[in-house]
Amino acid sequence: MIERAPYAQLLGVREWTDAQGNTGLVMPASPALEGRQGFLYGGVIGSLLELACLAALAGEGEVAGERPRPINITIDFLRGGLMVESYAQARIVRLGKRVVNVDATCWQADRESPIATGRMHILRA
Amino acid sequence: MEPEDPFERLKSMPPRGHHALLGIYHVAAGADWAELACPFSAGFLMDAGVGLVSSGPVISLIDAAAGAAIIARTRRWEPMATLDLRVDYLRAARPECTLHARATCHRVTRRVAFTRCEVHDGDPANPVAFAAASFFFTSEP
Repeated sequence: MIERAPYAQLLGVREWTDAQGNTGLVMPASPALEGRQGFLYGGVIGSLLELACLAALAGEGEVAGERPRPINITIDFLRGGLMVESYAQARIVRLGKRVVNVDATCWQADRESPIATGRMHILRA
Repeated sequence: MEPEDPFERLKSMPPRGHHALLGIYHVAAGADWAELACPFSAGFLMDAGVGLVSSGPVISLIDAAAGAAIIARTRRWEPMATLDLRVDYLRAARPECTLHARATCHRVTRRVAFTRCEVHDGDPANPVAFAAASFFFTSEP
């Protein structure tokens, strides 16, 4: 569902599922996502983390008429993102009736060396 | 000839990369602040059916404005990396509205710069988001 969003399409974000049934997002590199020369734009990395959090919540099953709203996000940038494919995966820490706490990680070639992590509060409204 | 002012250089650079994709442009600046904006685009929507604007462009505009505010304050052209960024979404941005981000760099040390940023979509008294971001100067001493 996230990959149908016009904004996800603007970034070129798609959903993936691995053999273990894990799901997440992938974003191929493109010149339109570049910040300083040779590096992915920081805001784009943050946006990918945010989309991964929203996708994780959507994966919990959509309630009719529910439109999750971001309350806030905190992003830690760990390494410069290179102009290669980026992956993001989110984990729901707590699925409340009103508020959802989600963690997300973004990595590139090496999953053990994340380039950014994020935490998000989402309002279920 | 006077050496070129780094902030004037930033302002006059043609948009490229993600700044160009979002249409980010310079609005105004002061001794320790900068205001950037980006016009609404249909590509910013999260859900075209209900006209819900994604907060993704807000994050990128904040990152750009905070970086510009640091150069406005330091008047130095130093490579830097965003350390962390926190955004409070006060309300959803309205479709068809230009987003404005005004960032202030309120403290610079030898290695780190601290910024705050407010985002609105037409009325500064009715903000869309508040943010705080810190940056690290990456060059060797």
